[in-house]
Amino acid sequence: MDNRFGVKDFVLVLLLLIIIVMIALAMFQYDRQWTVLQQTNQQLTELTGDVARVRQRVEQGAFATTQAASTQDMYTGLERVVKSYSSPDYAEGDTLTMVSQAPPDKLTPVVSTDLLSFTIQGEVMDALLGRDPDTFAFTPNLASDWHVSDDLLTIDFTLKRGITFSDGSPFMADDVVFTFELSKNPKLEAPGEQSLLDHLTSVEKIDDYHVRFHFDAPYFLSLITAGNTPILSKAFYSKYSIDELNQSTGLLIGSGPYRMADPTSWTPQPGQPIVLLRNERYWGPRPSFNKIIWKIIENPSARTTAFTNGDIDCYGTLSFGPSPESFDQMLKNPAIVARTQHYALDSPVQGYFYIGWNVKVGRDGPPSPFADPRVRRAMTMLCDRQRIIRDILHGYGTICTGPFPPSSPQADPTIQPWPYDPDGALKLLAEAGYVYKGDRVYGPDGQPLKIKLMYPNEGYVLKRCIPLIQDAFARAGVEVDPDPQEWTVFLQRTQNRQFEAAVAGWGGVIDNDLYQIFDSHFSEGAGDDFTQYVNKDLDAAIEQARITADETKRNELWHKCAQIIHQDQPYTFLFIDREMTIMDSRIHGVEPTKVGLNSPQEWYVPKALQKYHD
Amino acid sequence: MIPTMLGITALVFFSMALSPGGVAGPLLNQVSRLNTVDAKRVREYYEKRYGLDKPAYVQYARWLNLISPIGWRPNPDGSLGGFGFKWPSLGESLGRHRPVSDLIEEFLPVTLLLQAISIPFVYGFGFLAGITSARRRGSAYDNFVGVSQLASWSVPTIWAGVMLIGFLANRDYISLFPSSGLHEAEALNMAFFPHFTPQGWQRGWLLDCIWHLILPVVCLSYGGSAFLTKLMRGSVLENLSSDYVRTARAKGVPENFVLYRHVLRNSLLAMITVAASILPAMLGGSVVVESIFSIPGMGKLGVEAVENRDRELVLAITLIGGLIGLLSTIIRDVLYAMADPRVIYD
Amino acid sequence: MTETAVQTMAPSLANDVTGRTMRRWGARLGLTWIVLLVLLAVFAPFLANSRPLLLKSHGHWSSPAIENLTPADVIIQAVFWTTIILWKMPVSLRTKILIELAVLVSTTIGALVWVHPSELVIYETYRQDERAGNVEKVINAPIPFSPDDHQRDLEDAQLKPPDSAHWMGTTENSADLASNMIFATRIALSIGFISVSIAVVIGVIVGGLMGYFVGWVDLLGMRLVEIFDAVPTLLLLLCFIAFFPRNLYIMMAIIGLTGWVGYAYFVRGEFLSLRDRDFVQAARAAGIPLRSIIFRHMLLNGLTPVIVSASFGVASAILIESTLSFLGIGLVQESSWGALLEEALGVGGTFYWWIALYPGLAIFLTVFAYNLLGEALRDALDPKLR
Repeated sequence: MDNRFGVKDFVLVLLLLIIIVMIALAMFQYDRQWTVLQQTNQQLTELTGDVARVRQRVEQGAFATTQAASTQDMYTGLERVVKSYSSPDYAEGDTLTMVSQAPPDKLTPVVSTDLLSFTIQGEVMDALLGRDPDTFAFTPNLASDWHVSDDLLTIDFTLKRGITFSDGSPFMADDVVFTFELSKNPKLEAPGEQSLLDHLTSVEKIDDYHVRFHFDAPYFLSLITAGNTPILSKAFYSKYSIDELNQSTGLLIGSGPYRMADPTSWTPQPGQPIVLLRNERYWGPRPSFNKIIWKIIENPSARTTAFTNGDIDCYGTLSFGPSPESFDQMLKNPAIVARTQHYALDSPVQGYFYIGWNVKVGRDGPPSPFADPRVRRAMTMLCDRQRIIRDILHGYGTICTGPFPPSSPQADPTIQPWPYDPDGALKLLAEAGYVYKGDRVYGPDGQPLKIKLMYPNEGYVLKRCIPLIQDAFARAGVEVDPDPQEWTVFLQRTQNRQFEAAVAGWGGVIDNDLYQIFDSHFSEGAGDDFTQYVNKDLDAAIEQARITADETKRNELWHKCAQIIHQDQPYTFLFIDREMTIMDSRIHGVEPTKVGLNSPQEWYVPKALQKYHD
Repeated sequence: MIPTMLGITALVFFSMALSPGGVAGPLLNQVSRLNTVDAKRVREYYEKRYGLDKPAYVQYARWLNLISPIGWRPNPDGSLGGFGFKWPSLGESLGRHRPVSDLIEEFLPVTLLLQAISIPFVYGFGFLAGITSARRRGSAYDNFVGVSQLASWSVPTIWAGVMLIGFLANRDYISLFPSSGLHEAEALNMAFFPHFTPQGWQRGWLLDCIWHLILPVVCLSYGGSAFLTKLMRGSVLENLSSDYVRTARAKGVPENFVLYRHVLRNSLLAMITVAASILPAMLGGSVVVESIFSIPGMGKLGVEAVENRDRELVLAITLIGGLIGLLSTIIRDVLYAMADPRVIYD
Repeated sequence: MTETAVQTMAPSLANDVTGRTMRRWGARLGLTWIVLLVLLAVFAPFLANSRPLLLKSHGHWSSPAIENLTPADVIIQAVFWTTIILWKMPVSLRTKILIELAVLVSTTIGALVWVHPSELVIYETYRQDERAGNVEKVINAPIPFSPDDHQRDLEDAQLKPPDSAHWMGTTENSADLASNMIFATRIALSIGFISVSIAVVIGVIVGGLMGYFVGWVDLLGMRLVEIFDAVPTLLLLLCFIAFFPRNLYIMMAIIGLTGWVGYAYFVRGEFLSLRDRDFVQAARAAGIPLRSIIFRHMLLNGLTPVIVSASFGVASAILIESTLSFLGIGLVQESSWGALLEEALGVGGTFYWWIALYPGLAIFLTVFAYNLLGEALRDALDPKLR
């Protein structure tokens, strides 16, 4: 009777539990601080080693007047950075904070798949070549010189000397060979990456500073494949087996301006920011920021709050950007406008939204109403694209006229978009046999024209677009029946060609290859020409352009493709949304370019405005 | 227990396999950007690795093999090795390319933390409100508690969450609480307890955590506490009119003593019976709360997994959900045995 | 004796329960709200419509609203008026149900054949005509906006707070919130009613089978019950609903299929306790067929806790549908209260208070009403409190 479990005992047990939990949490915190201490210690050791080495070399007289010359050679390709750093108010220091929606699943290169990991790898690693953001010409980066053979089957690179990775190991031809051999290893879990390297047969080491790439078929994107792939450090990555690489989450080291604090141990913890430190061993001009941090904030309104509180410096480029509404909302606030700079730029990597019209009923069925290009053109003229941009994108967008981004040399600047012209559209429809009677359009079979418009049920842009399109078409007498589908089902249906019209978007790159999307080879099977559009002239032009080495001739062919597509309208190209960025005005060196904002490597914060000093 | 778990996972898996879109969601995502030849190769690679081209029951059987401690050891490329003892594994998430056990390790503690903090509030509040209203039966207080209890049980969690965030965590109105997440990003650099630094007062990791948890815990616990209030009240009333209480009163035992010594302990039985269903109900509620407040927990992971048709992840979460449900039944039985001397299990 | 006695017994039990329930203020309040909702749902196309109820244009009278009623509208009207007329008529319950069914079937067939609303909807024309002065006389619905009227004739009508034109403000798609809410009433009520009916039918059948044929049927059934009981409902629903097309009817079926467990439990318990009772043994000994034993004696007693539970079940079904629509996994095209609530927290962090308040309040009041009703029924049926 006396040893019953009473209320008193319960309270005591509870208190005990709480104390134990607190102790556990405190130990956890202590442990974390210990790790930070360890990292600081390691950094210190490395720096001390570096200083000692530099002192040695100074004493040996290695820094003679040839220094200036060799620096110049080293810095080829980084002229923009050098120019920015020679501004009168240039100062080193401060931390740049960005924000993203979710942590990347992996940071290990080659096996990583999401956009944020590519962005971070872009700061930590280098590729052989760079790209001028205004002329799109290739610039030297890790390679000082290159030569492409006339048949597009061989590319030679001359590598720069004296470059080291952030752990001190030297960069040489072995690393380039290792990078591509590893990427092509079939056991590596990166089947998507490997498909890009399909035409590459081998990378040959000529000597320590010369490599030669061999391709099995001419392809105009071969230089990009060879030149834009980030180079891995053989010394570091060869220590790991293929399985370890597949399983790893955070093996990231490179020769770029920034580095991970610990290149081996990163794991995606929800809520934990990703921190990059300045790479003191960087071969280019000393990077301006002490640190670059990506904070992970999932909730969009929390992101906006964090920016308005000043916890984030840059909301937009290189990470997740604000929606058009948030952007406008922030710009309406004078306090925010006073301390920020904002940009809404067109960028070729934004991609475009479009409506694809299936020219057959189902797969290989009889021709659908959209087999007639006049009908397709009429559909385009019925879309009030200006209104979509105004209402949904708040004006931050451009009407899309074709598959090439407007700033790319591939685009034909003489092409004007088809106007929003319902009367003109009805005339075209009448020519094709679709007559407007009463208040509806009737087809040649006497049935009213009715379109089932399939779209993926993701994201608010499409959700709001569809009613606009539906209403615009209704005013002209064409009935549109929205058909939202889950993403998986949407993909399945487009692959099986089981749809009438589909709204979707393609991502963008600077150099577009229309082969996958518009060549009739891909209208069969599960190819990307899911509208089953076949045009022999277009096929010929595309295939010729792909193997043309001379850029001017190639661009002429692409212009021809653009003209054919513009007349035929296999897609109704809708719009390109802009890359919107709002950032703290203390960051100088920010410039708009044709690919959006310039690289953060060119940014800096003047001494007087610096905010973070650690 | 095992047949029940089998049944649940089979139910979920086959409904996923039979639905339009099938099991291959993340796979389709991977191949959607590649041309035909490459897409074929990528698809074959994934199909071999995860067995996605096999019929549904074979895929389910493979998963069972994966989680059992005795079976054919799976090889990384998808084929099966020798038979024997092996570590049970939850497989690899197709959509995130990471082992499921890693993901669960990251997300489960957050959900459990939320539940662990909410349960004392639910029980404490229900306890107090139930007893006090039972003592003052029929009074205005009792009626008020009764109505407000039913009303708060009827408030949808989504509405409560949205209103709380909208009015209490919004810079346009009152910005008292953070609107999302479990920590501020700075919290990781903070010390554990609050203290003064040269830059001013720093919240400290503990307080920051508590500050972020206040609104979600409120959202999770108001419904459960309403339910428990009613239960407690009913149970106390029932006991107050029983024979032994009448005897005690007749003997002259003071009212408080009667209440706290005798009635309470017996009323607790009713609360404990209900404990088994509280935890699964709160897990369901936590799906909503985690989504609204962007807290990285199992509920959110589950919603995402289901939307992506991530086969391994969905099965693993169902398994864990079921296990937690069954576990709470066991805990309830144990507590019952401890609290009620009349109960003997043989 | 049994035939007539039971027939007179049943109605008086029902009357008894009804009387006792209605005495409670909770039930009166709840029922008032539910009746209000039913009226809103039935008369929705007349309460909120962009098309005028009566229009005189170019000397020609017409009623665009009535001309464009959908088959569903027509069927609902027919069923509603039949119920009202039959309410107080002195015919037996069975006849009433038969008449209702007959009306339902005939109206459905007739509506599907004859009722053809225009498929192309351009709401702006009516407002544009009015502004242009082409109409002589027009009588509009009290809320002159349909739920899918996106006000394309205005420049920027999205997300506006309540004002004289829009009593509850506008939504993300520039549609009137009040009109969306009225039409969403239909979805809420139908989901509540139909999913619970499905659940009750399944639960009663399964529970009855388990309770009557004990043995392996019972064991199997108990395993099934355990399965559905152990997993948190929302998680299970999430799995099912996300895997199927987002159709109103499929959602009703799925919510019904996951909610039958409680009812089966009650019925089984009732059956188990009754099957050994004397009067059942006597009936079997007298040779009365199985079917009438079940329906006349056991079921009637077993149904009382089911009815109480059903009221709470409707509340829970409405909550579930709102939650799923809020999470984006529920209905996509039709707007329901939960889907509307989702728009309240804007993408940029702005809080649109009217979109949070009204739909949320609607869900709360409806759930509260059904809970009050359930509570009152429970108190009325509880023998201890008689």
